[in-house]
Amino acid sequence: MLSPIEFFVTVVLVSALSGILGALTGLGGATFLVPIYTLYLNVPIAYASGASLISTIATSSGAASAYIRDRITNVKIGMGLEIATTTGSIAGALTVAYIYAHHLEFIVYIVFGIVLLSQVYVQLAKSKFELPKPIKPDWTTRVFELYGKYYDTVLKQEVEYHGVRWWLGEIIMFFAGFISGLLGIGSGALKVLGMDWAMNLPMKVSTTTSNFMIGVTAATGSSIYWILGYIQPFLAAGTALGVLIGAFIGTKILLRVTNKTIRYIFTVILVFLGIQMILRGLGYGL
Amino acid sequence: MDFNNIIGNTLRIGVIISAIIIIFGVALLFVYNGSNGFTITQISSSNSIVNSSIFKPSEIFSGLPKLYGLDYIYLGLMVLIATPVLRVLLGIAQFASERNKLYTIITVIVFFNLMFAIFILPILISK
Repeated sequence: MLSPIEFFVTVVLVSALSGILGALTGLGGATFLVPIYTLYLNVPIAYASGASLISTIATSSGAASAYIRDRITNVKIGMGLEIATTTGSIAGALTVAYIYAHHLEFIVYIVFGIVLLSQVYVQLAKSKFELPKPIKPDWTTRVFELYGKYYDTVLKQEVEYHGVRWWLGEIIMFFAGFISGLLGIGSGALKVLGMDWAMNLPMKVSTTTSNFMIGVTAATGSSIYWILGYIQPFLAAGTALGVLIGAFIGTKILLRVTNKTIRYIFTVILVFLGIQMILRGLGYGL
Repeated sequence: MDFNNIIGNTLRIGVIISAIIIIFGVALLFVYNGSNGFTITQISSSNSIVNSSIFKPSEIFSGLPKLYGLDYIYLGLMVLIATPVLRVLLGIAQFASERNKLYTIITVIVFFNLMFAIFILPILISK
């Protein structure tokens, strides 16, 4: 048994590490947090999800404040999609409440494992191309004003873009919100998929806008988590602080690290944690 | 100063304030070896009995003058949760000032979802 101070330091260190990994992979700290807490620190999954949901608000708000200044985040697109993510998050949080009330935790473990493993594809497929192939604007482009421009510091040019298929984006965002409420993660990867793949937006716009949206999505779910008692103050406090520190360090490293091998190492960690979560869900405890 | 800067600063300041309150709360926990009648060991165990279901957000403020660490931690977490909510409110103001009817309505819907989740759902659930 760890003493209170040892446990707190462990929580801060683990979440700082998760924050760094989250910032470097663009997955957010929560993806690594919940598996490490539940598999290695004996934290009940409800508390792990609660702490991690809170921590995603911290990183989202912290990062979004920087991105908004860069004018890459598309606030209109983000806000429009928030209708679906907040609705999804409410549905997800209520679903997990039912799951915990009926002691069906194994479902959460298995879904979490599947989500982790599905990120592998996103990790490997990512960063192939910077800008999407232009698709002809559709009616949603005009009605929902899905366009914008930003200055790309890498390409050294002003990038003008427009999004399409708003409705498809909304559908994916509902699932992203649902997963966020269910697992206590930001589900940034699903959000990016919605904007990048469905709406054909440039990667930079997708990732920053997704990050902006995560805070609002998580805030929706967190009040339900609060009332149901999934937020353990000691764990949540250490996690929020740790992830903030980690995300800060992570973004500093990110500017220097673009190495592909590092992405592969993270992918291995994802696979490892994903398989362990599924095994735990199936009853093969550690 | 335009809306984007105000929004960016609001988010940043919200996070900083909440982090300071949380750090203060944790420090109080360790200084007094507990809070709200719970010992630090009870509070800090990995499957602790202390969780948010026994802390009504409205009752947190009464513990602040008594220097209850847990109440400060919960206050910090509340500030953190409130930050994106405030951000959505500023979004409504921004779109309204740009006279963008569609996006003002969209942002109001998002705000309604947040308010529904934060204030109405807890009442429905606890019944």
